[in-house]
Amino acid sequence: MNFIEVQDISKTFKVNKRKAGIPGMIANMFAPKFEYKEAVKKISFNIEKGEMVGFIGPNGAGKSTTIKMLSGILCPDEGKISVGGYIPYKQRKEYVADIGVVFGQKSQLQWDLPVIDSFELLKAIYRIPEDKYKKNLDRYTDMLDMNGFINQPVRQLSLGQRMRSDIVASLLHSPEIVFFDEPTIGVDIIGKETIRSFIKELNEKDKVTMIFTTHDMQDIEQTCNRLIIIDKGSIMYDGSLHEIRNKYGTSRELIAEFNEETRVQPINDVIIEDKEDRRVSFTFDNNVTDVNKLMHEILGKYSVRDITVKEPEIESIIQKMYTGEAFV
Amino acid sequence: MKSDTLHLSAVYTKMIFRSWFQYRVDAILRSFAVFAREATSIIVVYFTLLKFDSLNGWNIYEMLFLFSLVYVTYGILIIFFTGLRDFGSTVKNGSFDRYILRPRGLLYQLIFANADWFAAVGHGGLGILLFLLSAAKIGVVWTPWRIVYYIFSIIGGVLIQGAIFLFLASLNIYLLETNSLKEVFYWNARKFEGYPISIFHKAIQFCMTFVVPFAFVNYFPAQFILRKEDMSLYPGIFMYLTPVLGIVMYILAYAFWRYSIKFYKSSGN
Repeated sequence: MNFIEVQDISKTFKVNKRKAGIPGMIANMFAPKFEYKEAVKKISFNIEKGEMVGFIGPNGAGKSTTIKMLSGILCPDEGKISVGGYIPYKQRKEYVADIGVVFGQKSQLQWDLPVIDSFELLKAIYRIPEDKYKKNLDRYTDMLDMNGFINQPVRQLSLGQRMRSDIVASLLHSPEIVFFDEPTIGVDIIGKETIRSFIKELNEKDKVTMIFTTHDMQDIEQTCNRLIIIDKGSIMYDGSLHEIRNKYGTSRELIAEFNEETRVQPINDVIIEDKEDRRVSFTFDNNVTDVNKLMHEILGKYSVRDITVKEPEIESIIQKMYTGEAFV
Repeated sequence: MKSDTLHLSAVYTKMIFRSWFQYRVDAILRSFAVFAREATSIIVVYFTLLKFDSLNGWNIYEMLFLFSLVYVTYGILIIFFTGLRDFGSTVKNGSFDRYILRPRGLLYQLIFANADWFAAVGHGGLGILLFLLSAAKIGVVWTPWRIVYYIFSIIGGVLIQGAIFLFLASLNIYLLETNSLKEVFYWNARKFEGYPISIFHKAIQFCMTFVVPFAFVNYFPAQFILRKEDMSLYPGIFMYLTPVLGIVMYILAYAFWRYSIKFYKSSGN
């Protein structure tokens, strides 16, 4: 049996459909019209203990709904969820004692109090023994370099500092699974880097199972080995990052910078484009054209100053998937 | 309550006080402001009623005794039920999701994380002041039995109003917005409180007794001690019902809450 098993879960929300204007408002009062919005449609996946899985998808794709069902906030209309032997929405108290949830957009800290006070409150809520609390607190605050602001009220913290505090807050009770819902949103580059490496270390050393949602592909590329892409309530892709490149991102771009103005002769199956500053771009399909051969050909024929090969950005691959191009 | 629950309650309370004392002046002013706001309305009533000898046989101090029960119960009420009174906004801004994610009872968290001690000092302080003043002027004789009765009626009065909040909070799960219901069923109904209900139209009397039973919060318990003539209009047993009614209403509201919470839908992002 897998650690996390999700089987054909669906969730439909009833949305009140309002017509515009005052007549619409009055009509809505007496005869409200409802629309059913399927946020998640028959999703299934399994996750093993210690895995780090990234959930991505456009806004409104059903990521948050899925996370909410996994963490027990929402109950699925259909299907089954089992996490570490628990059924999240049924055994709430026992289950949530073993998980941590970070909502990037919603802090769980006490706004007016020093960070450390919120931690003390969580210690009491989760019944964390003194020694374990002390050990976790020291270790995490060290790793995230928080000693400078742990005694400052949360309202005075920068977004990055607040996010780091929120992450520690959800880890103090040593959860087996942690859900991160956009943990790097709005954080600057250095802050993001700190958070990513912390999450990675926690996963590698402590074998904490992690599930991530994000819009930032860098987050996924640097932390997750497995990716689940979800759009319009269905899973579009479930597999490794490496695989998605091989499958959907086979186009490569080679850019050569020449020493002198050069007219490049056409090459089979390669799109050649002149760029500024004596640079020429060669776009080709990795499965059709061999990079080595192409490079040899270019280096042999022309006087080249610099040459680079670019893999497609994972972002653009996914963009293609959303618009359906990748499946053509 | 288990010892670790007791400990957590103490930590919650400490946090609430610390939060407020981040803004010391505001914390003190807040209690004072609540006290002053409510006291003003009492002073207006006081000077208005001075023009009359009595209302249906109730003199001014007997009426202040009615008011004192309103404020004493409300003072205790907002220590325990502020979280339920404001449940609508807790759901709407998504904070309720966080309660679900913590391994503690939902109602317990709502109650102890939101206790409004400072407003309680304002309301409760006014209530105690009115009580001391009116009881002394009326010359109430406090037998042990009356003291016990008085304490139990206050607990009952708190539970009656708590049950109304809990019931409205449960409705919130289906409707997402119950402020106007609360306005009608709690705040407007409360405006009748403080006067002997016998002065009102029959329909209002009926509402105050059987629909939103505020009459059991102050009128009937006060009758037990004051025994005014207009009590003959109502069954004598009403004077003793407050503690029982409080417990029964609260249990019913709690059952409704337990049933409704299963239908909770998170408000989304």
